[in-house]
Amino acid sequence: MGKVKIKKKSTLIDMTAMSDVTVLLLTFFMLTSTFLQKEPTIVYTPSSVSEEKVPMNNLVTVLVSSADKSGKMEDPTLAEGRLFISFTGDADSTLSSEKIRGMMLDEAISVYNEQHKNNKIALSEQQKQQFRTSNMVGVPFEDMPKFLSMSVTERDKVQGDMSGAEAAKAGIHVGIPIDGNKNRDGRLNDFQIWLKAIYNVAQRINNEQTEGLSAEERSQLSNLYTALMRKGQGIAIKADKDTPFTTVQTVFDNLQTMKLNKFSLMTALKSENEPTQ
Amino acid sequence: MAQIDTSGGGGKKKKGAQKKMQIHVDFTPMVDMNMLLITFFMLCTTMIKSQTLQIVLPTNEDVKKEQQSQTKQSEAITLILDTEYNGDKPAVNAETGKTVHNIYYYEGMADTTFANPKYLQKEQFVGNVNREAQGIRKILLNKNKQVMEEYAKLKEQWKNKEITKEEFDQLAKKNASDSLKTRPVVVIKPGPNTTYEGLINAIDEMNINQISRYSIELPTHTDTLLLKHYEQTTGETIIRPTVRAKAVQAPTASAEDATSKN
Repeated sequence: MGKVKIKKKSTLIDMTAMSDVTVLLLTFFMLTSTFLQKEPTIVYTPSSVSEEKVPMNNLVTVLVSSADKSGKMEDPTLAEGRLFISFTGDADSTLSSEKIRGMMLDEAISVYNEQHKNNKIALSEQQKQQFRTSNMVGVPFEDMPKFLSMSVTERDKVQGDMSGAEAAKAGIHVGIPIDGNKNRDGRLNDFQIWLKAIYNVAQRINNEQTEGLSAEERSQLSNLYTALMRKGQGIAIKADKDTPFTTVQTVFDNLQTMKLNKFSLMTALKSENEPTQ
Repeated sequence: MAQIDTSGGGGKKKKGAQKKMQIHVDFTPMVDMNMLLITFFMLCTTMIKSQTLQIVLPTNEDVKKEQQSQTKQSEAITLILDTEYNGDKPAVNAETGKTVHNIYYYEGMADTTFANPKYLQKEQFVGNVNREAQGIRKILLNKNKQVMEEYAKLKEQWKNKEITKEEFDQLAKKNASDSLKTRPVVVIKPGPNTTYEGLINAIDEMNINQISRYSIELPTHTDTLLLKHYEQTTGETIIRPTVRAKAVQAPTASAEDATSKN
């Protein structure tokens, strides 16, 4: 009897086609992607039928943190209502974003020092550079020097930990103070100082009173004033859908006090026919 | 990785025939690497850009009584917003998985005598069911009928490509603020327990129903009075202690109620 021969079959699979597809996909993702900006906390924006896109350039985003969702905190509402602020100049060139952040910081600090004559803050060039390269910042001005001398990872840790344990360890408060709107005897709270700085800088760019900007950069930044004052696109508020209205109202109130009555709210897209509840 | 198979086709070999060379390049590592890169890009990108909703708030400064705008009673409608809570989290509709918001609305002046059984009515944000407006949308739509009829015509024209998108937007905007048509004035009053989503939903309804005149205010004492009476008659609980104790703010003093009379 002859032995039954088992035919040897080649197990090679032709991966060429697969590789083609993956390369295509990769190219697609590489070309279409804009990277997610690092934010200290995740918020889920409510949805609306508005089709207007968030502008890519010249945008000030105010992030209102939501109640803690990780379940790690004993009282999740303690994480709520912290403010973070971020500035975007031109999305295509990081240079002008850094420039605009630097200008905002300088302006805000000069406003702050004017108001707190006995308690001035001064930042070194290195600390300013740290501010220019970071996306979202949400600490009071008095903690700014300490905060900016920390390393990037430390800063992320402090800002990202909503329970405040890390922040307490570092001796820093997280969230831009917004308390007391009008009852401060003409003194502005930290959030209002930022708003004032934004307004001043935008106006100065518009009036071409800035130094150290190339013509190209100025033209990129000049839209900020129009966006801010006329179209209401300069400031966008990003808040979680479950954040109580009263918390958001505080932010609205401060914007009103600073006469920035036109602004945008960030939402996700939904269709008219989708059920709302 | 890459190997050249020189065994030929097997079987008999003709003398002098060229050897067929089959080249196998193993693409598996390449695919592996690509997949990794794709995963990275997929996780790092934002495909959907956020939309924005623009709002314009009135100035914070005190406005003299003569300068305050007056509204016809028949045009005014007040929406008091409220979000249901389950413990300290917003209550969720089990079917749709969405937060439950209630709207208590009244038309014209607040009826503090409660003589009219419709002094306060309850509605919800239902949206469209089978393309038919439901809930609060239906009520607002009826209030803004003249504008919406014109709007539907414009939409039809745009769909038939008689007008461009820009023209449509422009005409729709003009139509929404056409002072010859009866248009409602909506006052949105988010109650202390309303979530941000409730407010956005309300503004959204304004946009859907082409309502150009609306304002956002805090509820007044009169509104609380209405809600209290509504609670007593229906047995519902609307006025609960605020869920977020630290967010409590006293509603702004309410002299403005008297001014919106007409």
